[in-house]
Amino acid sequence: MRYITLVAILSLAYGQTAAELTVRGDIAAPLVLKAEDLARMPRETVTIPDQDGTKVSYEGVPLREILKRAGVPLGKDLRGKALASYVLAKAHDGYQVVFSLGEMDEAFGNESILVADKRDGKPLFGYQGPLRLVCPNDKAGERSVRMLETLEVVRLQK
Amino acid sequence: MRILLLVLTCATLEAQRAYVWNLPKGFPTPRVPADNPMTAAKVELGRHLFYDTRMSGNGRTSCATCHRQELAFTDGKAISTGTTGEPHPRGAMSLVNIAYNAVLTWSNPGMKELERQALVPMYGEHPLELGLREGDGFLERLRSDPKYRELFDRAFPEPGERFTIANVTKAIASFERSIISARSPWDRYHYGGDDTAVSDAAKRGEVLFFNQHLSCFRCHGGFNFSGATVSEGHTVRDPEFHNTGLYNVPGGLGYPAPNLGIFEFTKDPKDAGKFKAPTLRNIAITAPYMHDGSIATLDEVLDHYAAGGRARDNPNKDPLIGGFPLSAQDRKDLIEFLKSLTDEEVLRDRRFANPW
Repeated sequence: MRYITLVAILSLAYGQTAAELTVRGDIAAPLVLKAEDLARMPRETVTIPDQDGTKVSYEGVPLREILKRAGVPLGKDLRGKALASYVLAKAHDGYQVVFSLGEMDEAFGNESILVADKRDGKPLFGYQGPLRLVCPNDKAGERSVRMLETLEVVRLQK
Repeated sequence: MRILLLVLTCATLEAQRAYVWNLPKGFPTPRVPADNPMTAAKVELGRHLFYDTRMSGNGRTSCATCHRQELAFTDGKAISTGTTGEPHPRGAMSLVNIAYNAVLTWSNPGMKELERQALVPMYGEHPLELGLREGDGFLERLRSDPKYRELFDRAFPEPGERFTIANVTKAIASFERSIISARSPWDRYHYGGDDTAVSDAAKRGEVLFFNQHLSCFRCHGGFNFSGATVSEGHTVRDPEFHNTGLYNVPGGLGYPAPNLGIFEFTKDPKDAGKFKAPTLRNIAITAPYMHDGSIATLDEVLDHYAAGGRARDNPNKDPLIGGFPLSAQDRKDLIEFLKSLTDEEVLRDRRFANPW
C-alpha cells in the first residue's frame, strides 16, 4: 500500500497521471477505463505523418469501440434521434473538440479515430499523454486531442 | 593524362555521392531544391565561403561575423551591423535547422530559397550587409586562390565556368542546410527515448509549453519549435506571421519603422507588426530576443507573453497572445524546458566550424 501511494505521489509530481479515461453524459452509467482495460480491448495501429511530416505510429483502441462499450448507440442502433448525438472530447488542460456519432460509425463516416496510448511502441509521455486522440483522416491536427481525459456523450434528442 | 583523368573521375564521384545527413531516427529529412542537390564537396566549399571575409566588399566581414557558431549562428546583438558599420534594423537569425524553414528571414513571405536569400546579405544595399557590388572583382578574388580552384572543381565538376555567383550561393546554401541541430537533451529524451536526458522541471515545462492556456506550441510548433517547416514528403501549409503586441506606437501602423513586419511586402495595414515565429532550438543562448532584440532575457520574454504583449492594445495583435497567469514555479519549469533545447554539439561541431 505504501508503495502504491509512493508511486501515485511520484506520478503526480512528474506531471503524469496513470492512464484513465472517463465516458459520461447521456449514457446509462459512467464508464471509467484504466490502462489495463484499454490493453484488453480491440486495438489498432495507425501510421500518420506528424505535424511536421515525420512518420509516427500510434496504437490504441478505436473510439467507436470505447463508445460501444459505454452503451452509446452505434451500429444498428444509430438511427433516428440517435443520429443527433455527439461526443465532446475533453483534455486535461480544458481543450475540447466534438465528434458526431455518425462520423465514426461503420455504416456512415467510418472514421478510424483512435484513443491512443502508445506512440512508436512506447507509452505516450509528457504533453502527449497518457492518452490522446488520433484522427488519421483529419488534414489538420487540432482535433487530435492530447492529454485526453473525458468523453462526454450528448444526445440532443432523447 | 591518366592521372588527371583519375583525379577528375574521383572529383566527379565525390560530387555525385549521396549526401549523408546523419539524422536521428524519426527526424525529418530536409527538402533540397532539385537544381542544387546536397554533396559533401558543395558543403565544404560553402563552409569556406561562409567563413571568408573576401565575401565582403571591404574584406572585413563574412557570413560568420553575424552568424557565430558558438551562439547557434546568431551574433548576440540586438541588431546586427553591416561591413561598413551600418546598423541593420533587425537581429541576425539563427541558421540552425534553416534547411527546414518554409520561409526565410523575419518578415518576407516570398523568400523561400536559401540560394536566393544569400544574395540579400551579399548585394543588398538597404541595409548594407556584406557590401559586394557588381564588377568589384569578387569572383576573381576567389579564382586567384588555388584552394578555391580545388574546392570549386570538386563541388561543380560539370564542364563550364565554375566561378559564378549562382555556384557561390548554391554552395553557401548547401553548407547552411547541413547545419542540423538534433542532439539537444530534448532530442535525446524524445527521439532517443532517454527519460533521464532532461530534468523533471523541463518535463513539467514541456507540458506547460503544449498547454492550451499558454499555447506556446501554436506558433513554435513541431520538431523545430518554429513556424511552418518543409521536409521530404511533407507538404507545408501557408506560413504564418504573428503580431505579438510588442509595440503600439502612434502613426497608424503601430510598430516603429522600418520594422513593420510583412506589411513591407503586402502593404496591408493589418499585416503591420507581423513577423515569423523563429525556432526555439538553442533559444537559451541566442539572446537578446525578438526581431529587434528588444527583450534581453527569456524571463522577460515570458513576462511579455504572460502580460498578453507588452503593448497589449495593438489592434493587429494575434488573438493567441491573450496573456496567462504564470507561477514562479511554472516560470522556472518553462525556462528549464527551453534550456533543454540547447544542442551543445551543434555549437562546437567541427563540420560547421571555420575551416581557414
